[in-house]
Amino acid sequence: MGDILLDVIDLKIHFFTDEGVVKAVDGVDLAIERGKTLCLVGESGCGKSVTCRAFLRLIANPGRLVSGEMHFRSSTNGTIDLAQLDPKGSAIRDIRGKEIAMIFQEPMTSLSLMHTVGDQIMESVLLHENVLKPEARDRAIEMLQRVGIPKPDRLVDEYPFRLSGGMRQRAMIAMALSCNPTMLIADEPTTALDVTTQAQILDLMLDLQRQDNMTLMFITHDLGVVAEIADDVAVMYLGRIVERASVDTIFNAPQHPYTQALLRSIPKIAMQRDELDPIKGMVPSPYRRPSGCTFHPRCSRRIEACNRIVPSVTELAPGHTVRCLLYENIQETEALQHG
Amino acid sequence: MARQVTPGNGKNMADDQNLLEINHLKMYFPITQGLFGRVIGYTKAVDDVSFTIRAGETLGLVGESGCGKTTVGRCIVRGYQPTDGEMLFRKADGAVVDLSMLQGEELRPYRKEIRMIFQDPYSSLNPRMSVFENVSEALHVNKMGTRAEMEERVGYLLRRVGLRPEYMKRYPHAFSGGERQRVVVARAMVTNPCLIVADEAVSALDVSIRAQILNLMEELQADFNLTYLFISHDLSVIRHICDRVIVMYVGKVVEVAEGLDIYINPQHPYTEALMSAVPIFNPRQRDRDRRIHLEGEVADPSNPPSGCYFHPRCRYAEDRCEHETPPLRQIDAERGHYVACHFAEKLELRGAVIE
Repeated sequence: MGDILLDVIDLKIHFFTDEGVVKAVDGVDLAIERGKTLCLVGESGCGKSVTCRAFLRLIANPGRLVSGEMHFRSSTNGTIDLAQLDPKGSAIRDIRGKEIAMIFQEPMTSLSLMHTVGDQIMESVLLHENVLKPEARDRAIEMLQRVGIPKPDRLVDEYPFRLSGGMRQRAMIAMALSCNPTMLIADEPTTALDVTTQAQILDLMLDLQRQDNMTLMFITHDLGVVAEIADDVAVMYLGRIVERASVDTIFNAPQHPYTQALLRSIPKIAMQRDELDPIKGMVPSPYRRPSGCTFHPRCSRRIEACNRIVPSVTELAPGHTVRCLLYENIQETEALQHG
Repeated sequence: MARQVTPGNGKNMADDQNLLEINHLKMYFPITQGLFGRVIGYTKAVDDVSFTIRAGETLGLVGESGCGKTTVGRCIVRGYQPTDGEMLFRKADGAVVDLSMLQGEELRPYRKEIRMIFQDPYSSLNPRMSVFENVSEALHVNKMGTRAEMEERVGYLLRRVGLRPEYMKRYPHAFSGGERQRVVVARAMVTNPCLIVADEAVSALDVSIRAQILNLMEELQADFNLTYLFISHDLSVIRHICDRVIVMYVGKVVEVAEGLDIYINPQHPYTEALMSAVPIFNPRQRDRDRRIHLEGEVADPSNPPSGCYFHPRCRYAEDRCEHETPPLRQIDAERGHYVACHFAEKLELRGAVIE
């Protein structure tokens, strides 16, 4: 693999609730390459959003970062382990919004209703860069122009409720990109939008990424979007990454039974209307995680050992890893896990 | 003004295959201002829409948010009193009744016949009622049977939608999203309806659950001879489940066609743009140039543009489009293809990428 911007090693985030411990992220390893688009895919509750929030140390109580390392190559301060930083300290605040920016799913709830679009963009510029207000305002207008908002000099003084869904999401992107971040995390940025608007926003994000050689981490549950934009894909299930490969491998030669089943269960625009092949059962409750491989109760290729042994990460080819007992030496893993 | 053609047939339900016939349906919502609620204008959510639903088919209704597709569905279940137009419904005995003329108690028998499935299973079940109470409410209201009979019916339906009958004593919070949607489907089925209006029934569900619910709906359709009006913005789901598709744009029907036809042979520029925006599930077929970028925003239904509502965003628009509203007209009698565009015959439009 080429130039790694963020290297995540064995990340664990657990939520200590009254009903018990929820292992939302349970041992995630993820290397994110500079300038590439990585899609993190999974169903609701699989831990994809929590993983990305952890990069910015935005995990709120009762969640806690239990263990793990997150080595980030800062453009100014060398390599930093984000896991070691104080979540409220100045070091992480220098990174948040400046080096790693984030776009959230619902643009109406993540924009402040009480401030104009321009003020919200200027806020992060004034915070991170040594500029004065008029300069920041010019930057806000320039950013709005870049994301394709018509009449940016007028819209800069508008409140978010005056904008349509697509325009609000553009304003969010303008805000995220205002400080030229090295990495942009987009958490389901197009899920709430219509297909035509979604296509526009995706194209816009890819164009901006190319212009700035930005690293894009894209969280989604929509495999169609993944097929359109990703370079690399990581598939998550119940807090673990079960398969990681190039987008071509994921769609044309997936190896993990979950990835395979997911692809079979999507309706496609095809000549024939075949019956869908759904994954049986439901995603289990986070309080009652299955033992061994968490996917085993729903897996069609389950073997006897699946309910006892947690599969380890197996590399099938350079850049293609999978967590499944079908691809590893079971005796070896068992010996490791049970001493 | 040019009268619209009703897709399917003429008046009085000449075609006995039709279960429901919508003619020139209008639903205007008043915009009020000031202390006394002075009406200053109308939002034309549904503006002169005509179509038919054939018995036993699944009819898809697609369009972007705000196009009026949900309002059409709500008019049919008479959640709204339509402003104008008729909604002819064929009863089991063959008699035809105009649902838009009925009031209050007169509607009761039809509420059993036409049921609805909503989008969000978290907000459409009453959390203070057990699953039994939620599902059997319609039986109770219509005094259909004793408690024991109701329990038997609910138990049967729960089993039919893939849940254990013992679950009927539990409350909705004990179920996951997919299970709740199964309960919602059972609730729609409880009065043995002939038509189900499914408004974004699978949009809020995860992919693995979505496939389960789609399969369940298809099974139930075959077993109980159901007719579906399937409202969705997801074109791949529509392709999977629908026999015919209606495309709406700002309160109007712009195109009606058979299932596959609308994908490979769209005749309206808006349908073409919609098809071009659908993501393709194969990274090897990635082609950003195929996408048609629509200029500007969806028109405001309270202040729509003149002529064809789509003309300000249409790549093929000519002068005529600005002045003259195109009627919905049949362009292919054999396949029942209707389109509201002046230049449908002239334009060579691209279809969706078929896998």
